[in-house]
Amino acid sequence: MSYDIYLVGVGGQGILTLADLIMRAAVHKGHPVSFFPTKGMAQRGGFVKAELRLGRAGVGPHIRESGAHLVLAMERSEALKGVRYARPEGDFLLYGHVWEPTAVMLGEAPYPPLESVLEAIRVSNARLVYLDPKELAKIDGAYVAANVFVLGAAFGNTRLGEVLSAHEMIEVVQARWPHRAKHNAAAFDAGLRVRGTS
Amino acid sequence: MQTKVLSGNEALAYGALQAGVKVVTGYPGTPSTGALTSLLAMDLPGRHVEWSVNEKVAFEIAAGAAWAGQRALCTMKMSGLNVAYDSLISIAYSGCNGGLVIYVADDPGASAGMAEQDTRGFALMSDLPMLEPSSVGDTYRLTQVAFELSERVKTPVFIRLVASIANAKIALKIDDLLPPAERTPTLERNIAKYTKAGAAICITQHQDVIARLEKASEVIHEMGLNSLQLAEKPGGLGIVAVGAAAAYLEEAFDLAVEYGLDKTEVSVLRTVTTTPFPTVDVQRLFAHCNFILTLEELEPYLERGVYIQAHRAGFTGKIIGKLDDGPLSRVGEYDVDHVLQGLNTALGLGIPVDHFKGNRATETLAARRPITVCAGCPHRGTYMAINQAIQNLNLDKDNVMVTGDIGCTILGMNPPFNTVWTEVSMGASVSLAQGYVHGGVRTPVIATIGDSTFFHAGIPGLLNAIQHQTPLTVVIMDNGWTSMTGMQVNPGTDETFQQSGGRRIDLAKVIPGLGIDQFFVIDPYDLKGATSIIEGCLTLPGVKVVLSRRECAIQAMRQGKHAGNVRLIPEKCILCKQCITATGCPALSIEAESIAIDPALCNGCGLCAAVCPTGALEKEDGT
Ligand code: SF4
Ligand code: SF4
Repeated sequence: MSYDIYLVGVGGQGILTLADLIMRAAVHKGHPVSFFPTKGMAQRGGFVKAELRLGRAGVGPHIRESGAHLVLAMERSEALKGVRYARPEGDFLLYGHVWEPTAVMLGEAPYPPLESVLEAIRVSNARLVYLDPKELAKIDGAYVAANVFVLGAAFGNTRLGEVLSAHEMIEVVQARWPHRAKHNAAAFDAGLRVRGTS
Repeated sequence: MQTKVLSGNEALAYGALQAGVKVVTGYPGTPSTGALTSLLAMDLPGRHVEWSVNEKVAFEIAAGAAWAGQRALCTMKMSGLNVAYDSLISIAYSGCNGGLVIYVADDPGASAGMAEQDTRGFALMSDLPMLEPSSVGDTYRLTQVAFELSERVKTPVFIRLVASIANAKIALKIDDLLPPAERTPTLERNIAKYTKAGAAICITQHQDVIARLEKASEVIHEMGLNSLQLAEKPGGLGIVAVGAAAAYLEEAFDLAVEYGLDKTEVSVLRTVTTTPFPTVDVQRLFAHCNFILTLEELEPYLERGVYIQAHRAGFTGKIIGKLDDGPLSRVGEYDVDHVLQGLNTALGLGIPVDHFKGNRATETLAARRPITVCAGCPHRGTYMAINQAIQNLNLDKDNVMVTGDIGCTILGMNPPFNTVWTEVSMGASVSLAQGYVHGGVRTPVIATIGDSTFFHAGIPGLLNAIQHQTPLTVVIMDNGWTSMTGMQVNPGTDETFQQSGGRRIDLAKVIPGLGIDQFFVIDPYDLKGATSIIEGCLTLPGVKVVLSRRECAIQAMRQGKHAGNVRLIPEKCILCKQCITATGCPALSIEAESIAIDPALCNGCGLCAAVCPTGALEKEDGT
């Protein structure tokens, strides 16, 4: 079994943490894993990506184009940078959060409309799972951590669940933040139950 | 034995500890930073670990320790090696006693935004062995080998990682850590070894350094560090691979099998060095194979060696790499597709071109995301003040040269500021600015530089300007930290964060001591005050130094410090968006009726309030 995951998003969304959690679950299970996070210079608001390669020892850190079994995008526009890595018949999970750069906010620069992003993903022949950010769960009136929610959704909507079990994943999440264990388990669970659209 | 999830940088750190390293020095630089950071986070009695003021100083300290007989490690990014290189060449001539290892990280793909410099060229020039691990696990092992090699041959040894190995993580089995063996320091008086006094000494040392590389080559061979697998049948393809490129071989073979590759017909040499060149192994490939594929990222150093050896051996088969106009590039990082393309060309597998490319057509639709400084970053106030000062003097911004420097301060090149024009190397802003003045630029010339960069290499440039009384304004943006590389301590960092017994050096005391006529300290959160001082400087003769001082917002936040409190009065907001256009602060966004402030990000610096024309943003002072 080899399973490559390419993750994209914006600094501050917790995408590297999400990738780190998957790595820990894989290590826990004894799978070989390579995790290569890349963040740009910005603390927040810059392009962030991570490459996770599960199940194969001694691989190089980079995933080839058209090679990712799962592309996991947490920002609508940045998702476009994941398209070239999408493997035909692989999964592409887009959590469609919109993080506008300042120029876009001021109306000085364009931002890709949802439909063109979805179309770009479809053209890559990956199986699209679109998660509307409006689906983000609330607990006691407050939004849960989006990255944990999206992690749950990846288990509920893609073939990641065939590689690692959701049950073990929850345990890793809980071990990571013991004082938020219950809250995060609920966030993960909400993600697990949500159904994306294609 | 224990299993740990480690990055290449961390594996290198553990390898060095395992080898009994006593002194570790370095200067932060992506992608190398993590090695020394991880050591600093550990409790290591009996060992000395420090961030030094620059790479040259760091390397000289490590060399001194190795001359005293201890094992020493020095860490840096490729640009840092350029700084250290003056001493390095000299120390290469002298050799060493204790193991001396220089860790340098290259950045193919330039993800940290500098040159795609291949430092293997420096190994060639200095005749020093350079180990090139191809994985995180390799890094752990070869770091230990590097110390052993260094001590056996009495030569400094490089270990070179690339970004993708330095920062990739895997689960790794590592040995339980032993305390370093105590060594009594030795003092060796030996003019012929430790000085360059006279041609006779230098010539002898030159011969010695060449001989040591020869010896290193023998030791590497004897240790069996390279792996050579010859195909059963002679006459096929021979591959020579080094570094990160070698990590993709197995995966590439598996993909190529689908296109008819017979793995058993391919011979493979994985070498751990380009310098010394693996001559014996390559000669064995020539004897066994009819054609050769060389796989290496960046420059064709390995390949050139292959051509030379081919010539010497009378090998006339084809050599596929970067020098034959094939598909392999000198630019960018490699992944499995590069290796596959090499196989494709070498073996004529007929893999269609589109196999190598994902769908990139829509990537250009992605919104541009120029990075800016963090919410509350003090640099924001400095750029705004410089821009405002230029405007107040009725100067055209396109006529005022503002040189920039390395670190977070360079973000002044991006919108909304567009203040800074240049980025060259550590400290270059101050000297470049003098060149513009002597070049005849009549408008005021400004140099901007961060505190750590100033300590590192900016001071000589300033001394030069003072000596020659070159009229210019130097703005030192002092936030107390080496921020961009992830918050390292520098000489100006508050004493509480210095290593025990360390001392803070206060730029406000140092600079006046240089004999500057015009020296000012400003608070970048005080836009009005800062602007008027910079404005004044732009009209004064001689050398002016402005010390713009406020702690890095991220570090201040981590200590629970708030610069102030900015309150939005939504009724007063007319959505003119001045605050956003002027500051570009990531804490600000636009809502239906007014702008909004993200309270989790805002530190109350007040810069947005300073530009709001209606008083919709109100600043109260904080802690
Ligand atoms: S500058 Fe003031 S008035 Fe204009 S948008 Fe900002 S808060 Fe509103
Ligand atoms: S006060 Fe204004 S400029 Fe400063 S951090 Fe807060 S929102 Fe940003």
